[in-house]
Amino acid sequence: MIPQPVTDGGPTIISLGDVKFTYDGGVEALKGVTLNIKKGEYVAVVGGNGSGKTTLAKQMNGLLRPGGGTVTIGGRPAAPQTVAELSRVVGYVFQNPDHQLFSPSVEEEVLFGPENIGYSGPDSRNKAEHAMALMGIGHLRKEPPLSLNLGARRKVTIASVLAMSPQVLVLDEPTTGLDDQESRDLMAGIDGLNKQGLTVILITHEMKIVAEHANRVVVMAEGRIVLDSDVKGAFADIELLRQSKLVPPPITLLAHRLSAYGISRDVLSTDEFVFEASKMIGGSR
Amino acid sequence: MTGFIDLYTEADTFLHRMDPRVKILAVLLLSILAFLLSGLSSLLLLLTFIFLLLFLARATLGKTLFALKFVLRFMVLIVILWPIFDPSGTPVLATLGPVKMTEPAIWRGVTSAVRVGCLATVWYILMFSTSQRDLVRALVKMGLRFDFGLALAISLRFLPTFSLTIESIKDAQRARGLELDRGGLLRRSKNYVAVLAPTIVSALRTADTLSLALQSRAYGARADRTYLRDLRMRSSDYVSLAVVLLLVVVPAFAIFFMGVSL
Repeated sequence: MIPQPVTDGGPTIISLGDVKFTYDGGVEALKGVTLNIKKGEYVAVVGGNGSGKTTLAKQMNGLLRPGGGTVTIGGRPAAPQTVAELSRVVGYVFQNPDHQLFSPSVEEEVLFGPENIGYSGPDSRNKAEHAMALMGIGHLRKEPPLSLNLGARRKVTIASVLAMSPQVLVLDEPTTGLDDQESRDLMAGIDGLNKQGLTVILITHEMKIVAEHANRVVVMAEGRIVLDSDVKGAFADIELLRQSKLVPPPITLLAHRLSAYGISRDVLSTDEFVFEASKMIGGSR
Repeated sequence: MTGFIDLYTEADTFLHRMDPRVKILAVLLLSILAFLLSGLSSLLLLLTFIFLLLFLARATLGKTLFALKFVLRFMVLIVILWPIFDPSGTPVLATLGPVKMTEPAIWRGVTSAVRVGCLATVWYILMFSTSQRDLVRALVKMGLRFDFGLALAISLRFLPTFSLTIESIKDAQRARGLELDRGGLLRRSKNYVAVLAPTIVSALRTADTLSLALQSRAYGARADRTYLRDLRMRSSDYVSLAVVLLLVVVPAFAIFFMGVSL
Protein backbone atom coordinates (compact mmCIF):
# COMPACT_ATOMS: atom_id res chain seq x y z
CA MET A 1 0.00 0.00 0.00
CA ILE A 2 1.31 3.48 -0.87
CA PRO A 3 1.08 5.72 2.22
CA GLN A 4 -1.23 8.65 1.97
CA PRO A 5 -0.17 12.15 2.94
CA VAL A 6 -0.81 13.31 6.49
CA THR A 7 -4.41 14.38 6.83
CA ASP A 8 -4.56 18.00 7.72
CA GLY A 9 -7.49 20.16 8.59
CA GLY A 10 -9.17 17.52 10.77
CA PRO A 11 -9.93 18.39 14.38
CA THR A 12 -7.22 17.58 16.94
CA ILE A 13 -8.30 14.54 18.91
CA ILE A 14 -5.30 14.00 21.16
CA SER A 15 -3.25 16.83 22.50
CA LEU A 16 -0.33 16.41 24.87
CA GLY A 17 1.30 19.57 26.18
CA ASP A 18 4.76 19.27 27.76
CA VAL A 19 3.85 15.97 29.41
CA LYS A 20 6.32 14.70 31.98
CA PHE A 21 6.21 11.37 33.75
CA THR A 22 8.42 9.67 36.31
CA TYR A 23 7.86 6.10 37.48
CA ASP A 24 7.78 5.23 41.20
CA GLY A 25 11.28 3.81 41.03
CA GLY A 26 12.56 7.21 39.87
CA VAL A 27 12.88 6.44 36.16
CA GLU A 28 12.11 9.62 34.24
CA ALA A 29 10.23 8.12 31.30
CA LEU A 30 8.85 11.30 29.71
CA LYS A 31 10.82 14.52 29.87
CA GLY A 32 8.35 16.97 28.37
CA VAL A 33 6.50 15.64 25.34
CA THR A 34 4.27 17.79 23.16
CA LEU A 35 2.22 15.98 20.56
CA ASN A 36 -0.96 16.78 18.67
CA ILE A 37 -2.79 14.10 16.76
CA LYS A 38 -5.60 14.91 14.37
CA LYS A 39 -8.64 12.82 13.66
CA GLY A 40 -7.99 10.23 10.97
CA GLU A 41 -4.21 10.22 11.25
CA TYR A 42 -2.17 7.01 11.08
CA VAL A 43 0.72 7.63 13.45
CA ALA A 44 3.57 5.26 14.21
CA VAL A 45 5.34 5.86 17.51
CA VAL A 46 8.78 4.28 17.26
CA GLY A 47 11.86 4.09 19.43
CA GLY A 48 14.13 1.60 21.16
CA ASN A 49 13.18 -0.27 24.31
CA GLY A 50 12.88 2.13 27.21
CA SER A 51 12.53 5.20 24.98
CA GLY A 52 9.16 6.01 26.56
CA LYS A 53 6.80 5.07 23.76
CA THR A 54 4.51 2.85 25.82
CA THR A 55 4.55 5.35 28.68
CA LEU A 56 3.50 8.01 26.18
CA ALA A 57 0.67 5.88 24.86
CA LYS A 58 -0.62 5.10 28.35
CA GLN A 59 -1.06 8.83 28.97
CA MET A 60 -3.66 8.87 26.23
CA ASN A 61 -6.25 6.80 28.08
CA GLY A 62 -5.38 7.63 31.65
CA LEU A 63 -3.65 4.38 32.58
CA LEU A 64 -0.79 6.67 33.57
CA ARG A 65 -1.37 10.25 34.66
CA PRO A 66 1.17 12.96 33.80
CA GLY A 67 3.45 14.27 36.51
CA GLY A 68 3.46 17.58 34.68
CA GLY A 69 1.84 19.06 31.60
CA THR A 70 -1.62 18.60 30.14
CA VAL A 71 -3.47 15.84 28.31
CA THR A 72 -6.55 16.73 26.27
CA ILE A 73 -8.59 13.96 24.70
CA GLY A 74 -11.38 14.74 22.24
CA GLY A 75 -11.28 18.39 23.27
CA ARG A 76 -11.74 17.69 26.98
CA PRO A 77 -9.06 17.59 29.67
CA ALA A 78 -8.22 14.00 30.57
CA ALA A 79 -7.35 14.64 34.21
CA PRO A 80 -10.88 14.55 35.69
CA GLN A 81 -11.95 11.56 33.58
CA THR A 82 -11.62 7.92 34.62
CA VAL A 83 -9.92 5.30 32.47
CA ALA A 84 -13.37 3.85 31.72
CA GLU A 85 -14.58 7.24 30.47
CA LEU A 86 -11.48 7.83 28.39
CA SER A 87 -11.73 4.34 26.90
CA ARG A 88 -14.85 5.47 25.01
CA VAL A 89 -12.59 7.77 23.01
CA VAL A 90 -9.22 6.03 23.09
CA GLY A 91 -9.16 2.26 22.73
CA TYR A 92 -5.91 0.70 23.88
CA VAL A 93 -4.86 -2.77 22.75
CA PHE A 94 -2.16 -4.32 24.90
CA GLN A 95 0.80 -6.15 23.46
CA ASN A 96 0.14 -9.53 25.03
CA PRO A 97 -3.31 -10.96 24.19
CA ASP A 98 -2.96 -13.37 27.09
CA HIS A 99 -3.15 -10.41 29.43
CA GLN A 100 -6.73 -9.67 28.51
CA LEU A 101 -8.50 -12.74 27.17
CA PHE A 102 -10.60 -14.58 29.75
CA SER A 103 -14.04 -15.31 28.33
CA PRO A 104 -15.28 -18.75 27.31
CA SER A 105 -16.10 -17.53 23.79
CA VAL A 106 -14.88 -14.87 21.37
CA GLU A 107 -18.36 -13.36 21.32
CA GLU A 108 -18.48 -12.84 25.08
CA GLU A 109 -14.93 -11.51 25.04
CA VAL A 110 -15.86 -8.83 22.52
CA LEU A 111 -19.05 -7.98 24.43
CA PHE A 112 -17.13 -7.34 27.66
CA GLY A 113 -16.00 -3.78 26.78
CA PRO A 114 -19.30 -2.29 25.55
CA GLU A 115 -21.14 -3.83 28.50
CA ASN A 116 -18.61 -2.33 30.91
CA ILE A 117 -19.11 1.19 29.62
CA GLY A 118 -22.85 0.88 29.85
CA TYR A 119 -24.26 0.22 26.40
CA SER A 120 -27.62 -1.52 26.41
CA GLY A 121 -27.81 -5.22 25.54
CA PRO A 122 -28.85 -4.82 21.88
CA ASP A 123 -26.44 -1.91 21.39
CA SER A 124 -23.57 -3.97 22.81
CA ARG A 125 -24.49 -6.87 20.55
CA ASN A 126 -24.55 -4.64 17.45
CA LYS A 127 -21.22 -3.11 18.36
CA ALA A 128 -19.67 -6.52 19.01
CA GLU A 129 -21.02 -7.87 15.71
CA HIS A 130 -19.62 -4.87 13.85
CA ALA A 131 -16.23 -5.16 15.55
CA MET A 132 -15.99 -8.90 14.81
CA ALA A 133 -16.90 -8.25 11.19
CA LEU A 134 -14.25 -5.51 10.92
CA MET A 135 -11.55 -7.87 12.17
CA GLY A 136 -12.91 -10.81 10.17
CA ILE A 137 -13.41 -13.10 13.16
CA GLY A 138 -17.18 -13.58 12.94
CA HIS A 139 -16.75 -17.26 12.15
CA LEU A 140 -14.81 -17.76 15.40
CA ARG A 141 -17.57 -16.37 17.61
CA LYS A 142 -18.20 -19.61 19.52
CA GLU A 143 -14.53 -20.55 19.88
CA PRO A 144 -12.74 -20.13 23.20
CA PRO A 145 -10.36 -17.20 22.49
CA LEU A 146 -7.46 -18.65 24.46
CA SER A 147 -7.26 -21.71 22.22
CA LEU A 148 -6.85 -19.65 19.01
CA ASN A 149 -3.49 -19.02 17.39
CA LEU A 150 -1.63 -15.82 18.21
CA GLY A 151 -2.74 -13.92 15.09
CA ALA A 152 -6.39 -14.67 15.76
CA ARG A 153 -6.01 -13.95 19.50
CA ARG A 154 -4.64 -10.54 18.63
CA LYS A 155 -7.58 -9.89 16.30
CA VAL A 156 -9.95 -10.79 19.12
CA THR A 157 -8.25 -8.28 21.43
CA ILE A 158 -8.50 -5.58 18.77
CA ALA A 159 -12.17 -6.41 18.12
CA SER A 160 -12.87 -6.35 21.85
CA VAL A 161 -11.55 -2.78 21.99
CA LEU A 162 -13.20 -1.71 18.72
CA ALA A 163 -16.54 -2.86 20.13
CA MET A 164 -16.41 0.11 22.48
CA SER A 165 -16.46 2.28 19.31
CA PRO A 166 -13.50 4.44 20.17
CA GLN A 167 -12.36 7.26 17.89
CA VAL A 168 -8.70 6.42 18.42
CA LEU A 169 -7.12 2.99 18.43
CA VAL A 170 -3.76 2.61 20.18
CA LEU A 171 -1.96 -0.62 19.33
CA ASP A 172 1.07 -1.66 21.36
CA GLU A 173 3.38 -3.79 19.19
CA PRO A 174 0.54 -5.55 17.36
CA THR A 175 2.80 -7.63 15.11
CA THR A 176 5.14 -9.06 17.76
CA GLY A 177 5.40 -12.82 17.43
CA LEU A 178 3.35 -13.01 14.25
CA ASP A 179 4.69 -14.62 11.09
CA ASP A 180 4.85 -12.63 7.89
CA GLN A 181 1.46 -13.78 6.61
CA GLU A 182 -0.33 -13.18 9.93
CA SER A 183 1.33 -9.81 10.20
CA ARG A 184 0.24 -8.70 6.70
CA ASP A 185 -3.24 -9.96 7.37
CA LEU A 186 -3.52 -8.06 10.63
CA MET A 187 -2.05 -4.84 9.24
CA ALA A 188 -4.41 -4.97 6.27
CA GLY A 189 -7.28 -5.03 8.75
CA ILE A 190 -5.85 -2.05 10.64
CA ASP A 191 -5.29 -0.11 7.40
CA GLY A 192 -8.95 -0.71 6.62
CA LEU A 193 -9.99 0.77 9.97
CA ASN A 194 -7.92 3.88 9.30
CA LYS A 195 -9.47 4.26 5.85
CA GLN A 196 -12.87 4.30 7.52
CA GLY A 197 -11.77 7.31 9.55
CA LEU A 198 -10.43 5.73 12.73
CA THR A 199 -7.34 7.44 14.13
CA VAL A 200 -4.64 4.80 14.54
CA ILE A 201 -1.61 5.08 16.81
CA LEU A 202 0.81 2.25 16.29
CA ILE A 203 3.58 1.59 18.78
CA THR A 204 6.22 -0.53 17.13
CA HIS A 205 9.88 -0.96 16.39
CA GLU A 206 9.37 -2.80 13.13
CA MET A 207 10.41 -0.21 10.58
CA LYS A 208 8.98 -2.19 7.71
CA ILE A 209 5.52 -1.90 9.25
CA VAL A 210 6.03 1.84 9.77
CA ALA A 211 7.20 2.40 6.21
CA GLU A 212 4.39 0.46 4.61
CA HIS A 213 1.45 1.51 6.76
CA ALA A 214 1.72 4.72 8.77
CA ASN A 215 1.66 8.22 7.32
CA ARG A 216 3.30 9.99 10.22
CA VAL A 217 6.22 8.93 12.38
CA VAL A 218 7.00 10.06 15.90
CA VAL A 219 10.47 8.94 16.97
CA MET A 220 11.08 8.72 20.72
CA ALA A 221 14.46 8.58 22.41
CA GLU A 222 15.17 8.87 26.13
CA GLY A 223 11.77 10.27 26.98
CA ARG A 224 11.67 12.90 24.28
CA ILE A 225 10.30 13.19 20.78
CA VAL A 226 13.36 13.53 18.57
CA LEU A 227 11.56 13.47 15.25
CA ASP A 228 7.98 14.05 14.19
CA SER A 229 7.40 14.03 10.48
CA ASP A 230 5.65 12.31 7.62
CA VAL A 231 7.02 8.89 6.78
CA LYS A 232 9.02 9.96 3.73
CA GLY A 233 10.78 12.68 5.70
CA ALA A 234 11.60 10.35 8.57
CA PHE A 235 13.37 7.79 6.43
CA ALA A 236 15.35 10.42 4.58
CA ASP A 237 17.26 11.12 7.80
CA ILE A 238 18.92 7.74 8.28
CA GLU A 239 21.57 9.13 10.60
CA LEU A 240 18.97 10.39 13.09
CA LEU A 241 17.17 7.05 12.96
CA ARG A 242 20.42 5.27 13.74
CA GLN A 243 21.03 7.54 16.72
CA SER A 244 17.61 6.47 18.00
CA LYS A 245 18.64 2.81 17.59
CA LEU A 246 16.29 2.38 14.65
CA VAL A 247 17.13 0.86 11.32
CA PRO A 248 15.09 1.72 8.23
CA PRO A 249 13.69 -1.20 6.24
CA PRO A 250 16.28 -2.92 4.01
CA ILE A 251 14.56 -1.72 0.84
CA THR A 252 14.96 1.92 1.94
CA LEU A 253 18.62 1.32 2.79
CA LEU A 254 19.13 -0.22 -0.65
CA ALA A 255 17.47 2.80 -2.26
CA HIS A 256 19.83 5.10 -0.36
CA ARG A 257 22.82 3.10 -1.58
CA LEU A 258 21.56 3.30 -5.15
CA SER A 259 20.59 6.96 -4.99
CA ALA A 260 23.69 7.83 -7.02
CA TYR A 261 22.12 5.86 -9.87
CA GLY A 262 18.93 7.85 -9.80
CA ILE A 263 16.81 5.88 -7.35
CA SER A 264 14.78 8.13 -5.07
CA ARG A 265 15.90 8.11 -1.43
CA ASP A 266 12.39 8.06 -0.07
CA VAL A 267 11.49 4.56 -1.25
CA LEU A 268 9.51 2.81 1.48
CA SER A 269 8.25 -0.43 -0.04
CA THR A 270 9.28 -3.04 -2.53
CA ASP A 271 6.56 -1.84 -4.90
CA GLU A 272 7.94 1.68 -4.88
CA PHE A 273 11.44 0.34 -5.37
CA VAL A 274 10.36 -1.66 -8.41
CA PHE A 275 8.66 1.44 -9.77
CA GLU A 276 11.79 3.57 -9.22
CA ALA A 277 14.06 0.90 -10.63
CA SER A 278 11.97 0.41 -13.74
CA LYS A 279 12.00 4.19 -14.24
CA MET A 280 15.78 4.14 -13.96
CA ILE A 281 16.19 1.22 -16.34
CA GLY A 282 13.65 2.76 -18.71
CA GLY A 283 15.50 6.07 -18.58
CA SER A 284 18.91 4.59 -19.33
CA ARG A 285 17.66 2.85 -22.42
CA MET B 1 7.99 -3.46 43.83
CA THR B 2 10.76 -5.99 44.40
CA GLY B 3 11.36 -4.50 47.84
CA PHE B 4 8.10 -6.02 48.95
CA ILE B 5 9.13 -9.49 47.90
CA ASP B 6 12.84 -9.54 48.60
CA LEU B 7 14.23 -7.93 51.71
CA TYR B 8 17.76 -9.04 50.84
CA THR B 9 20.17 -6.12 50.71
CA GLU B 10 23.46 -6.58 48.93
CA ALA B 11 26.41 -5.88 51.22
CA ASP B 12 29.57 -7.49 52.50
CA THR B 13 29.15 -7.89 56.26
CA PHE B 14 30.03 -10.79 58.53
CA LEU B 15 26.33 -11.71 58.50
CA HIS B 16 26.30 -11.80 54.70
CA ARG B 17 29.38 -14.00 54.69
CA MET B 18 28.05 -16.36 57.37
CA ASP B 19 26.99 -19.82 56.24
CA PRO B 20 23.23 -19.60 55.64
CA ARG B 21 22.70 -22.84 57.57
CA VAL B 22 24.28 -21.23 60.64
CA LYS B 23 22.03 -18.24 60.16
CA ILE B 24 18.92 -20.42 59.97
CA LEU B 25 19.97 -22.31 63.12
CA ALA B 26 20.87 -19.09 64.93
CA VAL B 27 17.53 -17.53 64.11
CA LEU B 28 15.71 -20.65 65.30
CA LEU B 29 17.75 -20.66 68.54
CA LEU B 30 17.07 -16.98 69.18
CA SER B 31 13.37 -17.62 68.58
CA ILE B 32 13.48 -20.32 71.26
CA LEU B 33 15.21 -17.83 73.54
CA ALA B 34 12.36 -15.36 73.00
CA PHE B 35 9.96 -18.04 74.28
CA LEU B 36 12.18 -18.91 77.28
CA LEU B 37 12.49 -15.35 78.52
CA SER B 38 9.53 -14.03 80.46
CA GLY B 39 10.82 -10.76 81.92
CA LEU B 40 10.21 -7.52 80.05
CA SER B 41 13.75 -6.22 80.59
CA SER B 42 15.42 -9.40 79.31
CA LEU B 43 13.12 -9.44 76.27
CA LEU B 44 13.94 -5.79 75.60
CA LEU B 45 17.61 -6.70 75.84
CA LEU B 46 17.06 -9.45 73.25
CA LEU B 47 15.20 -7.02 70.99
CA THR B 48 18.09 -4.58 71.26
CA PHE B 49 20.53 -7.36 70.37
CA ILE B 50 18.41 -8.24 67.31
CA PHE B 51 18.35 -4.62 66.17
CA LEU B 52 22.10 -4.41 66.67
CA LEU B 53 22.49 -7.39 64.32
CA LEU B 54 20.09 -5.80 61.82
CA PHE B 55 22.18 -2.66 61.97
CA LEU B 56 25.33 -4.71 61.40
CA ALA B 57 23.63 -6.42 58.44
CA ARG B 58 23.36 -2.90 56.96
CA ALA B 59 19.61 -3.22 56.64
CA THR B 60 18.56 0.06 55.07
CA LEU B 61 16.28 2.20 57.20
CA GLY B 62 13.58 2.34 54.51
CA LYS B 63 13.35 -1.43 54.17
CA THR B 64 13.49 -1.97 57.94
CA LEU B 65 10.67 0.48 58.55
CA PHE B 66 8.68 -1.10 55.75
CA ALA B 67 9.12 -4.53 57.30
CA LEU B 68 8.46 -3.24 60.82
CA LYS B 69 5.18 -1.62 59.82
CA PHE B 70 3.40 -4.97 59.80
CA VAL B 71 4.93 -6.17 63.08
CA LEU B 72 4.24 -2.88 64.84
CA ARG B 73 0.54 -3.00 64.01
CA PHE B 74 0.39 -6.47 65.49
CA MET B 75 2.30 -5.41 68.62
CA VAL B 76 -0.02 -2.47 69.24
CA LEU B 77 -3.00 -4.77 68.85
CA ILE B 78 -1.59 -7.15 71.49
CA VAL B 79 -1.01 -4.33 73.99
CA ILE B 80 -4.59 -3.15 73.52
CA LEU B 81 -6.29 -6.55 73.54
CA TRP B 82 -4.34 -8.26 76.33
CA PRO B 83 -5.80 -6.29 79.28
CA ILE B 84 -9.30 -6.68 77.84
CA PHE B 85 -9.13 -10.47 77.87
CA ASP B 86 -6.99 -10.88 80.98
CA PRO B 87 -8.75 -9.40 84.06
CA SER B 88 -6.42 -11.03 86.64
CA GLY B 89 -4.25 -9.23 89.19
CA THR B 90 -4.41 -5.97 91.07
CA PRO B 91 -4.53 -2.98 91.15
CA VAL B 92 -7.53 -2.51 88.90
CA LEU B 93 -6.98 0.62 86.85
CA ALA B 94 -10.33 0.96 85.11
CA THR B 95 -13.65 -0.85 84.86
CA LEU B 96 -15.86 -0.62 81.83
CA GLY B 97 -18.92 -2.81 82.24
CA PRO B 98 -17.69 -6.41 82.36
CA VAL B 99 -14.18 -5.39 81.25
CA LYS B 100 -11.61 -4.92 84.00
CA MET B 101 -8.24 -3.38 83.24
CA THR B 102 -5.46 -4.29 85.66
CA GLU B 103 -1.90 -3.03 85.81
CA PRO B 104 -0.19 -6.46 85.68
CA ALA B 105 -2.29 -7.35 82.64
CA ILE B 106 -1.03 -4.28 80.81
CA TRP B 107 2.57 -5.28 81.60
CA ARG B 108 1.87 -8.80 80.44
CA GLY B 109 0.49 -7.34 77.20
CA VAL B 110 3.59 -5.22 76.69
CA THR B 111 5.85 -8.20 77.43
CA SER B 112 4.03 -10.38 74.92
CA ALA B 113 4.16 -7.64 72.34
CA VAL B 114 7.92 -7.34 72.77
CA ARG B 115 8.23 -11.13 72.51
CA VAL B 116 6.27 -11.12 69.25
CA GLY B 117 8.47 -8.26 68.08
CA CYS B 118 11.57 -10.37 68.81
CA LEU B 119 10.13 -13.42 67.05
CA ALA B 120 9.35 -11.43 63.92
CA THR B 121 12.41 -9.21 63.69
CA VAL B 122 14.86 -12.04 64.33
CA TRP B 123 13.84 -13.48 60.95
CA TYR B 124 14.61 -10.16 59.30
CA ILE B 125 18.29 -10.74 60.15
CA LEU B 126 18.15 -13.83 57.95
CA MET B 127 16.07 -12.21 55.21
CA PHE B 128 18.16 -9.04 55.03
CA SER B 129 21.51 -10.79 54.85
CA THR B 130 20.75 -13.94 52.84
CA SER B 131 19.92 -14.03 49.16
CA GLN B 132 17.05 -16.27 48.17
CA ARG B 133 19.50 -18.44 46.27
CA ASP B 134 21.65 -18.98 49.36
CA LEU B 135 18.59 -19.65 51.46
CA VAL B 136 17.38 -22.38 49.13
CA ARG B 137 20.88 -23.79 48.87
CA ALA B 138 21.06 -24.02 52.65
CA LEU B 139 17.68 -25.75 52.88
CA VAL B 140 18.71 -28.27 50.23
CA LYS B 141 22.00 -28.88 52.04
CA MET B 142 20.02 -29.40 55.25
CA GLY B 143 18.07 -32.21 53.61
CA LEU B 144 15.32 -30.59 51.52
CA ARG B 145 14.87 -32.46 48.25
CA PHE B 146 16.56 -30.58 45.43
CA ASP B 147 13.45 -30.41 43.26
CA PHE B 148 11.47 -28.93 46.16
CA GLY B 149 14.28 -26.44 46.70
CA LEU B 150 14.30 -25.54 43.03
CA ALA B 151 10.53 -25.13 43.04
CA LEU B 152 10.84 -22.81 46.03
CA ALA B 153 13.64 -20.81 44.39
CA ILE B 154 11.65 -20.47 41.18
CA SER B 155 8.50 -19.35 42.97
CA LEU B 156 10.45 -16.70 44.85
CA ARG B 157 12.19 -15.64 41.67
CA PHE B 158 8.91 -15.26 39.77
CA LEU B 159 7.00 -13.30 42.40
CA PRO B 160 8.17 -9.87 41.18
CA THR B 161 7.68 -10.88 37.53
CA PHE B 162 4.23 -11.99 38.43
CA SER B 163 3.20 -8.85 40.21
CA LEU B 164 4.20 -6.97 37.03
CA THR B 165 2.07 -9.33 34.93
CA ILE B 166 -0.91 -8.76 37.20
CA GLU B 167 -0.46 -4.97 36.94
CA SER B 168 -0.37 -5.26 33.17
CA ILE B 169 -3.51 -7.42 33.15
CA LYS B 170 -5.33 -4.96 35.39
CA ASP B 171 -4.36 -2.11 33.05
CA ALA B 172 -5.48 -4.07 30.00
CA GLN B 173 -8.91 -4.70 31.52
CA ARG B 174 -9.23 -1.14 32.79
CA ALA B 175 -8.61 0.00 29.21
CA ARG B 176 -11.67 -2.06 28.33
CA GLY B 177 -13.79 -0.11 30.76
CA LEU B 178 -13.51 -2.46 33.74
CA GLU B 179 -13.73 -0.67 37.07
CA LEU B 180 -12.38 -3.05 39.66
CA ASP B 181 -13.43 -1.19 42.78
CA ARG B 182 -16.95 -0.45 41.67
CA GLY B 183 -20.15 -2.13 42.77
CA GLY B 184 -21.05 -4.46 45.61
CA LEU B 185 -19.10 -7.48 46.76
CA LEU B 186 -20.66 -9.80 44.17
CA ARG B 187 -20.04 -7.40 41.29
CA ARG B 188 -16.48 -6.83 42.47
CA SER B 189 -15.65 -10.50 42.75
CA LYS B 190 -17.14 -10.98 39.28
CA ASN B 191 -14.92 -8.14 38.04
CA TYR B 192 -11.89 -9.95 39.36
CA VAL B 193 -12.58 -12.93 37.09
CA ALA B 194 -11.38 -10.71 34.24
CA VAL B 195 -8.07 -10.34 36.08
CA LEU B 196 -7.77 -13.81 37.58
CA ALA B 197 -8.40 -15.82 34.41
CA PRO B 198 -5.62 -14.16 32.36
CA THR B 199 -3.33 -14.33 35.41
CA ILE B 200 -3.78 -18.07 35.71
CA VAL B 201 -3.40 -18.58 31.97
CA SER B 202 -0.20 -16.51 31.94
CA ALA B 203 1.13 -18.45 34.91
CA LEU B 204 0.44 -21.78 33.21
CA ARG B 205 2.04 -20.63 29.96
CA THR B 206 5.12 -19.41 31.86
CA ALA B 207 5.32 -22.67 33.81
CA ASP B 208 5.05 -24.67 30.61
CA THR B 209 7.84 -22.72 28.90
CA LEU B 210 9.97 -22.85 32.01
CA SER B 211 9.62 -26.60 32.37
CA LEU B 212 10.75 -27.07 28.77
CA ALA B 213 13.69 -24.75 29.37
CA LEU B 214 14.67 -26.76 32.45
CA GLN B 215 14.35 -30.05 30.63
CA SER B 216 16.39 -28.80 27.71
CA ARG B 217 19.15 -28.10 30.21
CA ALA B 218 19.07 -31.71 31.39
CA TYR B 219 17.19 -31.06 34.59
CA GLY B 220 16.72 -34.34 36.45
CA ALA B 221 19.07 -36.28 34.20
CA ARG B 222 20.90 -37.72 37.20
CA ALA B 223 19.69 -38.22 40.73
CA ASP B 224 22.98 -36.99 42.21
CA ARG B 225 23.74 -33.57 40.85
CA THR B 226 26.86 -31.55 41.54
CA TYR B 227 27.04 -27.92 42.68
CA LEU B 228 29.42 -25.23 41.53
CA ARG B 229 29.31 -23.48 44.86
CA ASP B 230 29.16 -25.86 47.76
CA LEU B 231 28.44 -24.65 51.27
CA ARG B 232 31.29 -25.32 53.64
CA MET B 233 31.43 -24.32 57.30
CA ARG B 234 34.35 -22.09 58.12
CA SER B 235 35.88 -21.59 61.55
CA SER B 236 34.12 -18.24 61.91
CA ASP B 237 30.82 -20.03 61.29
CA TYR B 238 31.52 -22.45 64.16
CA VAL B 239 32.37 -19.52 66.42
CA SER B 240 29.12 -17.73 65.53
CA LEU B 241 27.12 -20.88 66.14
CA ALA B 242 28.85 -21.42 69.49
CA VAL B 243 28.13 -17.86 70.58
CA VAL B 244 24.44 -18.15 69.76
CA LEU B 245 24.27 -21.57 71.43
CA LEU B 246 25.74 -20.09 74.62
CA LEU B 247 23.29 -17.20 74.43
CA VAL B 248 20.45 -19.70 74.57
CA VAL B 249 21.85 -22.49 76.70
CA VAL B 250 23.04 -20.30 79.58
CA PRO B 251 19.65 -18.61 80.18
CA ALA B 252 17.90 -21.95 79.67
CA PHE B 253 20.12 -23.55 82.30
CA ALA B 254 19.55 -20.66 84.69
CA ILE B 255 15.79 -20.84 84.21
CA PHE B 256 15.31 -24.60 84.42
CA PHE B 257 17.99 -25.69 86.88
CA MET B 258 18.64 -22.67 89.06
CA GLY B 259 15.08 -21.42 89.21
CA VAL B 260 16.06 -17.94 88.06
CA SER B 261 13.29 -15.91 86.53
CA LEU B 262 14.59 -14.07 83.47
